[in-house]
Amino acid sequence: MMIVRAALLVALLAIPAGLTGAWIKSADARLAVATAAPGELAPVASASDVGYCNPELKRVLRRVLLSCGLGGGDAARGCQPVQAKNVATMSGHDFNALFTPMKDRGGIIQFDKDKADLDPVDLGLVDRVFADQRGASWFFVVARASPEGSIEHNRELSKARAEAVMAHLKTQFKDPDLDKEVGMLWLGKEYAQLETEFCAWQRSSSGTCNTEQLNRSAFVAWIDCQL
Amino acid sequence: MRRPSPWLVALLIAAVVGVVFAAVSTYDFVQHLDRQVHALHCSFLPGLAGTHGGESGCQVAMMSPYSSVFRTHVWGGVPISLAAMSVFAFLAFYALDLIVTRRKDDPRATGFLALATALPAATSAVMLTVSLAKLGTTCKLCVCIYVASAVCLIAGIAVWRRAVRGPARGSHDRDDPAFVGRAKSSPSSSPSAPTSGARLVAVNESPGASTGLLAAMFGIGVGFVALPVALYLALAPDHARFIGTCEALPHPADTYGVMFHVGLAAPGGAPAIEVLDPLCPACRAFEQRLAASGLADRLDRKAVVFPLDSTCNWMVTEVTHPGACTVSEAVLCAGDKAPEVVAWAFEEQDRIRAETKADPGAAARIVKQRFPALAACIGSPDARSRLNKSMRWVVANNIRVSTPQLYVDKVKLCDEDVDLGLEYTLSSMLDRRARGTLAAVPLEGDPAAKPSAGGKEPAARPGAAPGATPGATP
Repeated sequence: MMIVRAALLVALLAIPAGLTGAWIKSADARLAVATAAPGELAPVASASDVGYCNPELKRVLRRVLLSCGLGGGDAARGCQPVQAKNVATMSGHDFNALFTPMKDRGGIIQFDKDKADLDPVDLGLVDRVFADQRGASWFFVVARASPEGSIEHNRELSKARAEAVMAHLKTQFKDPDLDKEVGMLWLGKEYAQLETEFCAWQRSSSGTCNTEQLNRSAFVAWIDCQL
Repeated sequence: MRRPSPWLVALLIAAVVGVVFAAVSTYDFVQHLDRQVHALHCSFLPGLAGTHGGESGCQVAMMSPYSSVFRTHVWGGVPISLAAMSVFAFLAFYALDLIVTRRKDDPRATGFLALATALPAATSAVMLTVSLAKLGTTCKLCVCIYVASAVCLIAGIAVWRRAVRGPARGSHDRDDPAFVGRAKSSPSSSPSAPTSGARLVAVNESPGASTGLLAAMFGIGVGFVALPVALYLALAPDHARFIGTCEALPHPADTYGVMFHVGLAAPGGAPAIEVLDPLCPACRAFEQRLAASGLADRLDRKAVVFPLDSTCNWMVTEVTHPGACTVSEAVLCAGDKAPEVVAWAFEEQDRIRAETKADPGAAARIVKQRFPALAACIGSPDARSRLNKSMRWVVANNIRVSTPQLYVDKVKLCDEDVDLGLEYTLSSMLDRRARGTLAAVPLEGDPAAKPSAGGKEPAARPGAAPGATPGATP
C-alpha cells in the first residue's frame, strides 16, 4: 500500500513540477532564438521626406539652405538676389517650379505697394502656414518686390518684407529651432518673379491677382524634404 | 473494494478539473517568459483559444499585478495559477490516498481534507472579488478554477460531515476490511483470542489518522506548492541582461517646453520621461499597471504626447486613435492641468475614439465640453505648433513610433517589459540608478540583437512590426 501511495504522490507532484519545468525550458529556448534573431521593430520617428523630394530638388535646396544661413556654419542669414541666382544655378522660372509641389504647404503674403507691414490677414496666414509644420524640416520665406522702382530699393524692400515675416515668427512661436529651419531669400525684382500660376495658391489678399500684386509678397512654405 | 463515497469522487473530479484549468493558465503565463506576444487559451473548454484576442478578461487578468507574486524578484513573478495547480494536485492526491487507505470515514482525515479545500476556495473568493472590483472583468479560465474550488470545498465538507455522522446503519457502501493478516501469538492474549495462525478479520476501517500523519500530509501539501515554485524560481530565464539594451535618449532636454508632469512628482525620484498617446489603450493600461506596482512613487515622471493619428502625425499612415491629435492639443493647452486632462482622456478614450471615428469633429466637441477654458486654445496655431514640437522632440530623440514608452534617466524600459515584467525591470532599473550603474548597454553577445517588441501599441505604418499586436492592451 505504501508503494501505491508513494506512486500517487510522485505522479501527482510531477504534474505541476514537471509541466512547469518543461514549459520554462521551452520559453527559455524560444527566448534564446528571439534574442539571436530579433524581429522587426517599430520604425524610428523621422522628419518627412515626401515624394517630390527628388535628388535634383534636394541638391538645389541644400545649396540654397547652406548659402542662405542654414544648415550650420556662421553664414549670414538670408540670400540676396545675386546669391540666390548663383546658388540655384537655374533660371527664375525653374527656381519657382521647384516650389509648385508645395502648393498645399505654403501661402503668399501680399503687401501693399512699397510697404513691408503685415496686416492681421497677413499674420493669420503666416500663423496658419507655419503652425502646419507636420514633419517638415525647412521653412522658406522668399520675399519679392514688384517691378516698379530701382533695383536697390526693391532689394531693400523685399529684404524688409522677409524680415517682417521672420520677426513675427520669432514673436509668435518662440521656436528654439527657428534659426535652424527658416531660410530667407529676398529677391527684389531681379530674379524669379512669380507668375500668375501662383494666383491659385492661398494668398492673404482676396482681390484680383496679377503679377505686380503677386510679387509685392513674401512666399512662405514648408518643405517636407530631408537633406 | 466497494465504490468510494460519491462526494469524494466529486471532489476528485473537481480537483482534476482544477489542475487542468490551472495548468492551462500557468502555461499561458509561462510562455510569455520568452518576451514575445502570445495568444491566450481563454475558454471554458481547456486548451481552446479565446475569441476575444487581446481584449479578453484573461488578458486583463494575466497582465494585472494580481496574477502573480514576487514580481519584483523574478520577471513576471510566480504565477498564482502555478500554486493553484499544485494545490489541486495535492487535493487529488489526498482524495486518492483516502480511498487507498480507506480513511474516507475517518473524521480527522476527512476534516483535514475539508480544511485543505478551504484554501483554494478562500483564494478563489479573494481573486474573484479582486477581479470584479479592481479589474472590472473576469477570465474564463479563472472562473473554471473558482468553480472547481467551490465544488472541492462543498464535497470536502460533505465527506467530512458524513464521516462525523458515521456510516449509516445498514449501509452497504462500507469498505472491505482495511487490514487482513495473521495475528501473532502472545502470552497476554486472552483465552478467547484466536490461536496463532488464525485469520484475523476484525477491522472494518483504518485506525483514525494520527496527528503525525496529518502533520505529514500538511508537509506534503506544502511540498506540493513549494517544489514547483522553487523549480520556477530556479529555472526562470534571466531577464536582467536585457535592462538598458533598448535604446536611450540622446537629447532628453525639453527645449520646446512641451513636457508636463504626470503623477505626483516624487521628491528625489528618478527622472523619467514617458511618451504617450492620451487615446491609446495600451498607455491607459500601462498607467494602471504602473500605479498598481507602487513604483510610480519612485519616479519624477514627465510626459510627451505622441498621438498615433495621421491627422497631425506624419509618421503614421492611419488614424489609429481617432481624436488623438485634438486631445493632445488639449493636453498641451492645459498647462499645469495637463495631468487632469490625460486622466480624463484615459477614462473617456473609448467613447472619444468611437465618436470621432463617426464624426471627425467629435473629439473637439467632447473635450471643449469637459474643459471649456481650453476651447479657444484647441485648434489654434499655437496649439498645433506645440503639438508639432512634441513630435519633433520624438524625432530628435530617434524614438520608435509606438506608445507607451518610458525612459528612466534616459534609459528605455524595453517594450517587452511594459506589462508582465514591469515590476521586476523597473525596480531593477531604479535600484541600478540608485547605485549609479544604470546605463544603456548593448545586449550581451550581439549589440544588434534583441527580441522583437511586444506588449505595446505600435503605429500603423508600412514596415512596422506586423505581429506587434497590443499584447498589453486590455
